[in-house]
Amino acid sequence: MTRKKVKLAYIANDSARKATYKKRKRGLMKKVSELSTLCGIEACAIIFSPYDSQPELWPSPIGVQRVLSQFKKMPEMEQSKKMVNQETFLRQRIAKANEQLKKMRKDNREKEITRLMFQSLTAAKGLHGLNMLDLNDLGWLIDQNLKDITIRIDSLKKPSLPQPQAQAQAQAPPTTQPQTAAWLMELVSPQDQMGFVGDDMLLPFGDQTYNHNNAMWSNAFFP
Amino acid sequence: MRKSRGRQKVEMVKMPNESNLQVTFSKRRSGLFKKASELCTLCGAEIAIIVFSPGKKVFSFGHPCVEALIERFVTRNPPPSSGTLQLIEAHRNANVRELNAQLTQVLNQLEMERKRGEELNKLRKASQAQCWWELPIEEMEMHQLEQLKASLDELKKNVTQQADRILIQTSSNANPPTQLIFPTQIPTPTTTNGPNQQPGLFVVDPKNIISHLPFNYGSYGSRGFF
Repeated sequence: MTRKKVKLAYIANDSARKATYKKRKRGLMKKVSELSTLCGIEACAIIFSPYDSQPELWPSPIGVQRVLSQFKKMPEMEQSKKMVNQETFLRQRIAKANEQLKKMRKDNREKEITRLMFQSLTAAKGLHGLNMLDLNDLGWLIDQNLKDITIRIDSLKKPSLPQPQAQAQAQAPPTTQPQTAAWLMELVSPQDQMGFVGDDMLLPFGDQTYNHNNAMWSNAFFP
Repeated sequence: MRKSRGRQKVEMVKMPNESNLQVTFSKRRSGLFKKASELCTLCGAEIAIIVFSPGKKVFSFGHPCVEALIERFVTRNPPPSSGTLQLIEAHRNANVRELNAQLTQVLNQLEMERKRGEELNKLRKASQAQCWWELPIEEMEMHQLEQLKASLDELKKNVTQQADRILIQTSSNANPPTQLIFPTQIPTPTTTNGPNQQPGLFVVDPKNIISHLPFNYGSYGSRGFF
């Protein structure tokens, strides 16, 4: 079927309207049926149209009566709690769509400012044309990035492993409890630039009582 | 960022998985009411749908109204008609027309934003292919992180200075200054390509920048984009 966008308004053309009614009514009935089967629930539909004096029903006249009496048995408040008409239903849809729109706009704004940040970083774009709002958001985003980078830098530096050029510093200072933990985490997922095999490093780094520890360190770093 | 599984073919039996069943009910019920609403608008039909949830709650949709339609079905009477009732119905239909128009407008705006978002994603991907500093920081090496940090620190100073400049200008438009506070031109930046510099990033010599008033984001009451 073609996917032309249909305007959400009463169809003025009589034959088009009748054709649409037939198709959509059939589709609606199918959807009710599917919902009922898939979810194992009771449901009914009553459709009055200008084309028929009798209403179209699902599942059947008796089925409808059954569901209706079930419905009527429920307390008044339960019946009306989730009851909607066109107006309330449309208002709900509008509210939901507005929420989505707000979120999408916010996300897009962040993407734009991110782009702006990288452009001004390489002087591809100057700061002159920007208004206070843009500058404000730009400054905020830069701060966010700086914070993340600092955290990342710290997490890489935390395990106080000697750098290749600091051979003389093979003796590491004793580490406190939390630092050891961070260091152990480092062991578990070694950084690529370390270039050593995990197996060699199972003994705690801070343990200074075993001299061969340091020897193992040296071997690992300087094959 | 693919969240849903897309269109799947579904077997017409009661769903085995309890939580999937609940989700399906929720989505399909919503879709069902939407279709009913559209049928009412497009073809002038009057529809009542009653649905019991797996949790035994009842949902109902009715246009013009559930109770009246149930009444009409049960008593098999043609709908009552009077001048007043017709007026009420005309008023209600006018409301619905307006709401539909409003909904259409919001949905169109939503679609526009979605497209804009995809465009921005595309642009981001493209520039990430060219510029290492646009990649996620988790993938960066230490020297890259440090350089990026330095560049961002510098950029931050520039942004602050530019903001100060605007602040001063807007306040000085009311009171013309008696003497110059800022230089009339920002210093032209020089790109230094020292041994630690990756090509492409731009670092300004701090000595060239004079910063005066600290830019307080708080004064604008903004916490970024929220």
